[in-house]
Amino acid sequence: MNISNIFKTATLLCAAGAVTLMSGCAANQAVSVNGMAADGHEYLLTVTRPNQLHVIDTETKQVVRSCDVPGTFGTGAVQPSPDGRIAYVLTNGAEDVYGFDITNCDITFSAKQSQNGVKVKTFISLAISNDGKELYTVQNPTRKLNDRYEVLAPRLAVFNTADGLDAKSVRNFPVDRRITKIMTMKNGEVILGGADIKAINPVNGEVRMLSALQNWARGADWIPPDAFAMFTQGEHVGEYIMPYFTIKWNGDPGDMEQAEFWWGMSRIDIATGEVDERETVPFEFIVFNWITDPNDSNILYGAFNQLSKHDLSQNKTVDVIDLDHTFYSINMDRSRTIYIGGTSSDISIHNPDTLEKIGSIQLTGDMSTSDLRIARLL
Amino acid sequence: MKHLKSFNKKAKMLDQTTSPDEVEEVVAMQSVVGCTSTNDPGWEVDPFGGLGSLCQPMESDLYGCADACWWPAQVPDTMSSQPNWSMDVSKANEDWRKLEGIFPEEQK
Repeated sequence: MNISNIFKTATLLCAAGAVTLMSGCAANQAVSVNGMAADGHEYLLTVTRPNQLHVIDTETKQVVRSCDVPGTFGTGAVQPSPDGRIAYVLTNGAEDVYGFDITNCDITFSAKQSQNGVKVKTFISLAISNDGKELYTVQNPTRKLNDRYEVLAPRLAVFNTADGLDAKSVRNFPVDRRITKIMTMKNGEVILGGADIKAINPVNGEVRMLSALQNWARGADWIPPDAFAMFTQGEHVGEYIMPYFTIKWNGDPGDMEQAEFWWGMSRIDIATGEVDERETVPFEFIVFNWITDPNDSNILYGAFNQLSKHDLSQNKTVDVIDLDHTFYSINMDRSRTIYIGGTSSDISIHNPDTLEKIGSIQLTGDMSTSDLRIARLL
Repeated sequence: MKHLKSFNKKAKMLDQTTSPDEVEEVVAMQSVVGCTSTNDPGWEVDPFGGLGSLCQPMESDLYGCADACWWPAQVPDTMSSQPNWSMDVSKANEDWRKLEGIFPEEQK
């Protein structure tokens, strides 16, 4: 059901009851899709072993629905559609993609990327166009010949989501190797997170540099940064964020007495394409990713063995608490509630102001490297 | 690699057989034949030389290392060569004892 049909349904329901009309239908009639609260209601999406997509209501913190995903567990990458209705899941050893209607688990899309003797792996890379009509993956293909393997160039593959089951890519463009997390910007370009952060135009394949990392030109006083783009990336505030680690030598390279160890970030506004690349806080412990506080872009939260809060205006870590175990991914809903997931079978819920743990969501299996995404169902 | 010196016989053989031009192909081949060619020590020490920033407990990190070929020397490669290794164990922290070791197939 698309958005116009939802409104039509709501209008008809209201028209059927004069009393309801008199009391103000628009204010009282909650919009729902297949019984699920909609109109922007937020749901957490993640994947667990053996291979299930879970849909979790952020209001009740309850699992609403679990959908069986075909094939063996992949890496748990999930990409919600812009209307929040479809969740695209990378599965089967990171080779296949399936699209699920989160309101009933119906499979609306599938693409088996390994074809005709060419094995294709996609490492995390899933993104969707702003209109939901095109799905993007980065494919790493190799061809199996009689006596050897032939390594083929990685490429961005474009699928039409309307092609439904057994879809084939409609366009392919060469990209760098080592691409992991990707995201679509408002102008339609797809951010490619890898050794450097670049953007590709999925219509004509033109690539431009957004944030040079392995190829930055800071001279011998800095080491090229070690960047990590694997988990959820700032969609709740409309940004792509990738942490990196670097060393400033302040003298002879290798002199640890003089060296400064820094976390840094490449943060890209997906509406404007503006890049914020800078060192953030001293490298004192590990985070796997950061998210930005929607109320203050100087405040970041990170997670791994600790949940941490950082203030970029002071280049300081301002609060840290220990977590129950290691977690890989972190996300935040509209009310600023923090969710930490990945690794084991529980999502840890935290207050952003105190970092205090305020709840937990138990799942049926381990999340491993799975994403923790927010779908806003329209 | 220029800062590394081959230490044992196997490493010296690797040095002799792989030219720098072939490195990218070797890396890419991990996606087909498994990631056991990855040389990543892992799980022994954290970036600070201690243990505090290693994953805790190990069971939380077990599948994250297997599915993404992260620490291939320690856990089976579920992405390519051992996809069914952990099919019957959904929660590693509860049922890790049910996970079996992986051994080379017997030559017939």
